[in-house]
Amino acid sequence: MIQLQKISKHYPVGFGKNDILKDIDLTINEGEFVSIMGPSGSGKSTLLHIMGLLEEPSEGQYLFEGERVDKMNEKKRTQLHRGSIGFVFQAYHLIDELTVYENIETPLLYKNIPSSERKSRVADVLDRFNMVAKKDLFPSQLSGGQQQLVGIARAIIGEPRVILADEPTGNLHSDQAKIIMQLFKHLNEQDKITIIQVTHSDVNATYGNRVIQIRDGHIQP
Amino acid sequence: MESHMWQNYLKTAARNLVKRKLYTAINISGLAVGIASFILLALYLQNEWTYDKFHEHAAQLYRIRMDYGEKDQPVAHVAMNPSALGPAMKDFPEVKAMTRVYPQGATVKNGDKVMNEKRFIYADAAFFQMFSFPLLSGNAATVLSGPDMVVLTAGMAKKYFGTTDVVGKTIKINNDKDFLITGVAADVPSNTHLKFQFVASYASMGKKDNWNAPNYYTYVQLADNATIPGLHNRIKSLIRDQIGGAAPAGVTFDFVPEPVTGIHLSSIASHSTEAGGDIHYNYILTIVAILLLLIACINFMNLATARSSDRSREIGVRKALGAQRGQLFWQFIAESTLITFAAMVTGIALALILLPAFNNLANTNLEVGRYNGYRLGILLIGIFLCTTFFAATYPALFLSGFRPVQVLKGALNKTTGGGIRKTLVVFQFAASVFFIICTLVVGRQLFYIQHKKLGLDRSQVLVLDGEKLNPKKLEDFKSKLLQQSGVQLVSASYDSPVAVGGGYGLSYVEGKPAGYNMNITAIPVEKDYIKTMGITLASGEDLTGADIQDVLKEDDKRVYHFYLNETAVKHLGWTAETAIGKRLSMNGRTGPVKGVMKDFHFASMKSKIEPIIVFPEYDWFGEILIKTSGNNEQPVIAGVEKIWKDYLPGVPFEYHFLNEEFDGLYKAEYRTSAILSTFSTVIILVSCLGLLGLATFTAQQRTKEIGIRKIMGASVSSVVALLSKDFMKLVILSLCIASPLAWYAMHYWLEGFAYHAVLSIWIFLAAGAIAIFIALLTVSLQSVKAALMNPIKSLRSE
Repeated sequence: MIQLQKISKHYPVGFGKNDILKDIDLTINEGEFVSIMGPSGSGKSTLLHIMGLLEEPSEGQYLFEGERVDKMNEKKRTQLHRGSIGFVFQAYHLIDELTVYENIETPLLYKNIPSSERKSRVADVLDRFNMVAKKDLFPSQLSGGQQQLVGIARAIIGEPRVILADEPTGNLHSDQAKIIMQLFKHLNEQDKITIIQVTHSDVNATYGNRVIQIRDGHIQP
Repeated sequence: MESHMWQNYLKTAARNLVKRKLYTAINISGLAVGIASFILLALYLQNEWTYDKFHEHAAQLYRIRMDYGEKDQPVAHVAMNPSALGPAMKDFPEVKAMTRVYPQGATVKNGDKVMNEKRFIYADAAFFQMFSFPLLSGNAATVLSGPDMVVLTAGMAKKYFGTTDVVGKTIKINNDKDFLITGVAADVPSNTHLKFQFVASYASMGKKDNWNAPNYYTYVQLADNATIPGLHNRIKSLIRDQIGGAAPAGVTFDFVPEPVTGIHLSSIASHSTEAGGDIHYNYILTIVAILLLLIACINFMNLATARSSDRSREIGVRKALGAQRGQLFWQFIAESTLITFAAMVTGIALALILLPAFNNLANTNLEVGRYNGYRLGILLIGIFLCTTFFAATYPALFLSGFRPVQVLKGALNKTTGGGIRKTLVVFQFAASVFFIICTLVVGRQLFYIQHKKLGLDRSQVLVLDGEKLNPKKLEDFKSKLLQQSGVQLVSASYDSPVAVGGGYGLSYVEGKPAGYNMNITAIPVEKDYIKTMGITLASGEDLTGADIQDVLKEDDKRVYHFYLNETAVKHLGWTAETAIGKRLSMNGRTGPVKGVMKDFHFASMKSKIEPIIVFPEYDWFGEILIKTSGNNEQPVIAGVEKIWKDYLPGVPFEYHFLNEEFDGLYKAEYRTSAILSTFSTVIILVSCLGLLGLATFTAQQRTKEIGIRKIMGASVSSVVALLSKDFMKLVILSLCIASPLAWYAMHYWLEGFAYHAVLSIWIFLAAGAIAIFIALLTVSLQSVKAALMNPIKSLRSE
């Protein structure tokens, strides 16, 4: 599903450059639950951003379902964004001015889904996550765990085939983290969604079926 | 764009605005003030630019100007002509219609209501057919067709009769004849040079047409196929017929048609019915209006982009959720539109509320009504679109252009777009400094005019209307006045001592060859004029009773005594001593020079002091001048009124002070100064609002940095200095940009005055100090707040 070939990423620093990723070769198959692990600054978030099309690699090729992403135009990339990829962030990144309901609905707006279908899909997700009672609250009125639940609900509403999660439990205490991780496992197993998470936690990594270790921009064998 | 998208945008926008109350308040109030100012100035300028353009035949209407000048002397341009000119032109094939206008002022009486009316004019029958002053009742073709007919405005009809249904009634004019009211005109708009309240038929005056006294305004309506050169040629041949041949070489004498639409702003003629506007001031105010709106828009842009760090996370998230740049762009446009719309509504309300105050300030009578309603509507829509476009587009482009990953990674903690924002702040402050300097210079010049020694003493001089008093009775009246305590001196003169208008010519000067001619300003006066006005004699003696007896004789036996000013003496090649006793002949008046006066200002300081002659003549006095002791004026005025009533029963008592006439010379300057200083203040205020907003956000952004610095031991003052320093650099840069521009503009303006204050460096330093002080005050409010914050609090949130 995701194929990275000789991917490098570096930033210019002064007259030289700062290498973040070097010659990454990585293939992730449909239905996998992958945990990317590594110390701070090892480049794992950058790798996730590249896979999520939020960042472009300096060198190398990225194939999403066999198609060269770096050759895609902006429009096609946005299509991919909207249709196939869902994001979950460590800091939840909910929009403060929107209610729970509206936050979850937003990706559907950008996909131009008609109003009646939006309503039923949001209602389904709210129901599934047990959040119907909270739908009119604003993010600031929720606990961290609840906010992340909204974040995940928002990520799956567009029915993506892959969810990219950047330390999804980093801001949560262990009870909440457990709920979130079980949810991911469920989504992976029942809904067949490919999940790629960046994490520091060995416990979280056990929910997945593959661990990729990164150190200094290289994948450790 | 789909409608649910817009709903979402507006919902988010509205919540955003409510959440950030300070930001919203600054934005809306800044823009609203800008819009309100723009509307008021636009109303004012529209009034100025549309003077007399509302007449249906505006393009065909011309006023005849008289040009005359002796050999080797400057040509005088006067708006008035002899009364015989109009009838002579009436039969020209180029002329479709003609009317003369003679503004005279009159005492109007109905029952026990007696008042002096200044806006009382006499006009020929064609007046209401040529000019589009609509008649509420009466027939335009016949309302002035015979003697003793009068048309009055609706306002006047209400004042004297309490109703506008007055056609067929009579009204007494000048305590003499009853005039038949033949029509009622709508109140005259403020954008015409012919602001009348009464128009009486010309025939009522019963005067014979003559070619000698140029005291009448002559207007013609051009025939359909006629051209101005054609009309002018016809006038030239008329002049040749009148003079009996060509004018002597070097002598100018001409009648020139001037378009009525240009009278207010571009006529060169003096003695118009109303002081003209100054086209330069209109340009300046146009710039002020546009700048104000621009600065308000700049505030908006600055605040919107400064908030980028605030909004960046939302933008990043939305992009990660699949929003395209275009969609975000429209979201921000929607948000801005919401603000500009709120500002627009507030601005219009503000403008309407402030209109009376503005009218008071600008000495105008502007209103939103029949002449400008729809134009104003178009203007408002234009302002709304422009404001939204300027204010919203750049922030929308800027904000929607964020790269999501940088944002989500937190790389955008520092605000970007700083370069453009700084440029805009510099622009704003440069404009502010520019107007501070202009306001100071204009104020300084008006102060200079007020306090410059004129060479005559205009203080505490009470002026009465001398027109109604028979000059033969003056001596008697004067002696009564002098018995009144508080009255020091009494005299009289033909016209205002501070604005002498009389154009005369010297046709004989002792010691000059025959045929010598010289144009000169002169003023007939009463015996004690020189003393009363405090004019200093450089040589010679003041007038005596015997001198007065000499001019009270029969016309051909009169001997005149002339007083020349130093400039006139110099012009004639004499000195103060040699001038005494030299014989002159001026427009048929002959006599010796009796004294030389030190130069004094008898006209606006825009022109240099010219030669002038003061001479006694008791034929007609326009002004009675009463020098008072200056303390306890009210009983003095009451005493004078009592004496007036004894001498002139039935004539309303009116008075003013000579100082007011003097200030009247600089009406345009006072008005512009008042408008300029008010709107400069607004510009500065709006700029400060923008600065305040920026400072607030900078302080918020640097909360963490400030916290760390404080933990490291930074003092409050050092933190304030740190935060204020950047803004100060910008303000100083704007000073450097604005000062030369302001110097250039003000230098040009001051050149328009023959006598003016020095453009000193202190004005620039003062303007700089004011700007820095205001900016510092604005910025430090926020800086101090940030500096006093508990550092632990700011760091905990990270």
